[in-house]
Amino acid sequence: MAYSELIKNFQRIRNYMREFYVYGLKSREEYRLKSARSYDNERRRIESWIGSYMSFRQDASGKTVFLSVDSRHIPHNPLHRAFKAKSFTDKDITLHFYIMDLLDGGGVLSTREIAGGIHDRYLSRFSGAFFPDESTVRKKLREYEALGLLRSEKRGREVFYQRTDNPAFRLDAWADALAFFSEENPLGVVGSFLIDKLGSPSDAFRFKHHYILHALDSDILCDLLLAIDGQRAVELAVKSLRSGRDYRRTVCPLKIYISTQSGRQYLLGYHYSSRHMVFFRLDAIQKVTAGNVEKHYSKYLEYQEKFDRHLWGVSTGPDYNLDHIEMTVHFGPEEEFILRRLQREKRHGDVERLDAETCRFSADVYDAAEMLPWLRTFMGRIVSLRCTSQAVEDLFREDLARMEALYGGGGDAVQ
Amino acid sequence: MLFSEIYGSYFQTVAEVLAEACDGTLTERRMTELVREKAFAESALTIPSALKSEAWPLLDGEYRSVLRHKPTMPLTTLQRRWLKALLSDPRIALFAPDAAGLEDVDPLYAQDSFVFFDRYADGDPYEDPVYIQCFQTALKAIRENRKLRVRFHGRTGGRHSIVCIPCRLEYSSKDDKFRLLTAGTGRFGTVNMARLRSCELLEPFDPKSAAPPQGHSEELVLLLHDERNGLERVLLHFSHFEKETVKLDDGLYRIRLRYDKDDETELLIRVLSFGPVLEVKAPAAFIHLIRSRIQKQSRYLREDAT
Repeated sequence: MAYSELIKNFQRIRNYMREFYVYGLKSREEYRLKSARSYDNERRRIESWIGSYMSFRQDASGKTVFLSVDSRHIPHNPLHRAFKAKSFTDKDITLHFYIMDLLDGGGVLSTREIAGGIHDRYLSRFSGAFFPDESTVRKKLREYEALGLLRSEKRGREVFYQRTDNPAFRLDAWADALAFFSEENPLGVVGSFLIDKLGSPSDAFRFKHHYILHALDSDILCDLLLAIDGQRAVELAVKSLRSGRDYRRTVCPLKIYISTQSGRQYLLGYHYSSRHMVFFRLDAIQKVTAGNVEKHYSKYLEYQEKFDRHLWGVSTGPDYNLDHIEMTVHFGPEEEFILRRLQREKRHGDVERLDAETCRFSADVYDAAEMLPWLRTFMGRIVSLRCTSQAVEDLFREDLARMEALYGGGGDAVQ
Repeated sequence: MLFSEIYGSYFQTVAEVLAEACDGTLTERRMTELVREKAFAESALTIPSALKSEAWPLLDGEYRSVLRHKPTMPLTTLQRRWLKALLSDPRIALFAPDAAGLEDVDPLYAQDSFVFFDRYADGDPYEDPVYIQCFQTALKAIRENRKLRVRFHGRTGGRHSIVCIPCRLEYSSKDDKFRLLTAGTGRFGTVNMARLRSCELLEPFDPKSAAPPQGHSEELVLLLHDERNGLERVLLHFSHFEKETVKLDDGLYRIRLRYDKDDETELLIRVLSFGPVLEVKAPAAFIHLIRSRIQKQSRYLREDAT
């Protein structure tokens, strides 16, 4: 099949874009996901969509392509463009403009009248053009009704269609909100579609700590949000990010957990078989299939509320038991900001002031090991660390010893 | 269905081409210009030829549209439901968009469908009328290229009043805060919106003469020892920076990333959070800061052990 910059299926390009953006390590020869030709095509497509953000490096292992962008300096997520590259047929695009035009101005027409209008008004002017039959037109009208572009009404044996324009709605009044939420909302790609309809989009915003990669999972997120809204069980097709193993899980989807400090997104669902709350990374989910309405949805939501009270991040630990942890922190006379840091970053647990320059943070969480990265951000101030999981205390000390070794122990020389 | 051609660049670009054709102003050259401007880099090879060859029979031989109207399209259900869901976001108060036309629409999701589990708890006060007024005034100033007088309390509590050229509003999801980025105000280049007490629109300025503030960019060089899934964790965590990663050996990578010198302390603790997985190789001043914290921490733990 001839190369096209448009794509039918999003999954393969999703993998390549993640590789180029997050890692940017592999040369052409190292891509074993597909053939070299497939790699060439995907790289060429991505270059066509967002070439100005791509970089290249040539070394002994070959040419390496990577996506590098400081997301603080750009108004729009370039990865959204991948969602604007869906392939279509000549018939699709032609019928789209004909149908929208025929029904423009509030007209109400039957399937037969639309099919006739397409022939008489437009196609009769072209000698070699295709002539869609009524069933092709009917299929397209139903598709557009499902998308919400048209509404239908049955009169006798005929179905009549009308556009769904609402003159009361003014998209231009949303320009600034769209500029903000198209980047900040987890499903911001929808805002990006809307911005494309604006004559003069807003350029008022920039975003710090802005993780743009999640946009590639928008399709999965959208399906999950629809299932959550409909309180429906879902079957997930998952590909393990570490082992590459494919598996399926049937869960009751409850919440989307999002890390603002890594951009990772997770589904929290009740897994029927294991009878446990389970997290799934959205970038590992390949497909979501909605199932039946869950009659006990509110009961599972109550489980989630209780469960959340002792979650630090998204780990439940090996056995769903709680670890108790206490960290005593020292701060100087001019360092009250440390107290404020603890208060705003602690998520759960308590902060207790012990004296003018010392305070203690304590919490009960499912997996205290998950807290280690945060605890290390107080390095240089931790007077003592106690945890019911001895492994957590040990790891903190071992890591500190290794860091001392890395940076030259007690010496002052810079390597 | 989110991945659909009706949201695609091709449909959007062809609509713009047809709109110009309806005006009678379309030429072959203009069509190519529009495609280059609106679509993808290689679209100029496909869209004009499909229109000219009548594979997409939408233009006649004189570059006139066969349609009766300029192309338009209603919002899809997905778009309407997404907009309706935004109305429940507390930050929508800052924009106060006209919600007319969305009355009978079901929101796509409830606001509490999302849990931002590591977002800081001291976010901006989006319901405070003074905050909303300052935000909207600043936004208007940016939109209309007008100077601003802002009055605010500094970090130490001191009161300030400055005239500034507003460039952008910068938002951090982690901090849940907006900052006003300004030009020509010396040390007050960035002001937290939550600190503003008042905001007053002043005279227009020439946007060409007001360059947005450029941070003092530095390069951080890190060695990554890939253990405990460190490669993925580190690269995702720092993915919002401009960076380059090179594999040096099995399980050993070098990362170069550019950062704003003003954010050095924040970056320092982010590097520390990865423990021995990350090793700073440059700049020297950054290594000194890391070493100092490690040495202090070691002393505390030795004291604790005795």
